Amino acid sequence: MVRKISLTVNGYRKTVEVKDNELLIDVLRDKLKIKGVKAACWRGECGLCTVLLNGEPVKSCLVLAVEVDGSEIVTVEGLSRDGELTPIQKAFIEHGALQCGFCTPAFVLASHQLLLENPNPTEEEIKEKLSGILCRCGTYYEIIEAIKSASKFYQKK
Amino acid sequence: MSFGSPYFTLPDFTYHKPKTLREALELLEKYGDEAKILAGGVGLIAFMKERLVSPSHVIDIKGIPELKKLEYRKGEGLVIGATVTFSELESYQVIREKYRALYQAVKLASDSIIRNRATLVGNICEAIPWVDGPPPLIAYGAEVEIKSLDKVRRVPVAEFIKGPVEIDLEPGEIVTSIHIPDVPSGARSGFVKFNVGSEFALVNLAAYLSLNEEKKDVRLVYGAISPKPVRALEAEKILSSEGDMRTLIISAAVKASEELEVISDVLASEDFRRHLIKILTMNLLTELVEGG
Ligand SMILES: Cc1cc2nc3c(=O)[nH]c(=O)nc-3n(C[C@H](O)[C@H](O)[C@H](O)COP(=O)(O)OP(=O)(O)OC[C@H]3O[C@@H](n4cnc5c(N)ncnc54)[C@H](O)[C@@H]3O)c2cc1C
Repeated sequence: MVRKISLTVNGYRKTVEVKDNELLIDVLRDKLKIKGVKAACWRGECGLCTVLLNGEPVKSCLVLAVEVDGSEIVTVEGLSRDGELTPIQKAFIEHGALQCGFCTPAFVLASHQLLLENPNPTEEEIKEKLSGILCRCGTYYEIIEAIKSASKFYQKK
Repeated sequence: MSFGSPYFTLPDFTYHKPKTLREALELLEKYGDEAKILAGGVGLIAFMKERLVSPSHVIDIKGIPELKKLEYRKGEGLVIGATVTFSELESYQVIREKYRALYQAVKLASDSIIRNRATLVGNICEAIPWVDGPPPLIAYGAEVEIKSLDKVRRVPVAEFIKGPVEIDLEPGEIVTSIHIPDVPSGARSGFVKFNVGSEFALVNLAAYLSLNEEKKDVRLVYGAISPKPVRALEAEKILSSEGDMRTLIISAAVKASEELEVISDVLASEDFRRHLIKILTMNLLTELVEGG
């Protein structure tokens, strides 16, 4: 069955036609052309397709598009404001917290949300919240350092 | 973006999102075994991608208010509704304090992003032998409540899970909630899991100990070692007997590693699993008896 769903993506209202069996990841990437949502394992293991669904990180390869009718979605494209990167994005650059960069959107998004909820996380808390995202280049050390250094900007808010 | 492989797409189906339990039950009645319930979808969508199931009707129960129930009552215990996620359980204070085995299992199940979607009811309905939800529930003597249009019934989780991906649920029925009895003060419980590389447990174990009263109550429940979770009844008896606790723990751990039927598969040999049973039992029980 084909139906129309309405959702807010990165602050913009969108109406899209989707089939009942279409996945959220496909609708975001192919219909809305949001390519910061990466496709890799397709089975919820790697976490690269993570998006914020009503403020909660979820893996969009295991969500139906019809399920998010009426919801709010944020992807990495929705983080910067007026061309200004968020503190966590700047910290990733400063710390070289990426090599190939394929996992970066997911890590940036999930760490941004983590710092909003818990502006002063311990290393254990960072690891626990991000353990569902894999970096095949193994840049975990730098990612954790970047998050720790960005945390001061979130505490001030 | 299908890459031409079924693995990336889902079979065709019609999606339904009922707003009441009654409406959901009517859909289940109407479509029978053509229908599948969708909770967090973490299991169902993965299974559909692999064509292990291909329902023509998918019934999303997340819009039904009464299934969101998460409530503790002193003397009665804990009720966990069908759409309560692992993340919600993790942040529920009563579980952290009173139901330690469940809390620890929840924290060790998959990762925090998956836990934002996955439900505990979905976890037991999936009935995969290595999942982490069933052992603590069985250790607490939990029951599931099952409804259809004309019936309500309650089944112990231990009987509800019949074998690998096999549960006691008829077409037209839905699991509405899990009921866990209250735990007496002084009772202790815990959960451990051994896994390498992936989150699949080679052995997981929930223990429940209530030793203070006249009647000793001990339950040891093992997952991932056989087609469904099992209790080590002989080892439980040893722990309930009189004697020095440290000696009893060692005898019980050895007994548990011998008395159970244990599978051998690509993840671990039977011998290795028996070894793990012994070590995990010893460590967990020691921690429960000596700690706190
Ligand atoms: C990457 C990954 C890692 C994982 N790691 C772990 C782990 O470490 N430990 C672990 O225990 N599990 C793990 N899992 C499994 C996961 O926890 C379960 O798949 C999840 O709990 C299922 O819940 P759900 O709400 O997503 O169920 P769904 O996917 O919605 O449903 C699962 C099944 O149960 C049925 N069902 C759901 N609700 C009901 C109901 N109310 N009444 C009747 N039938 C129902 C559905 O029809 C379906 O057949 C992992 C899964 C993934 C994808």
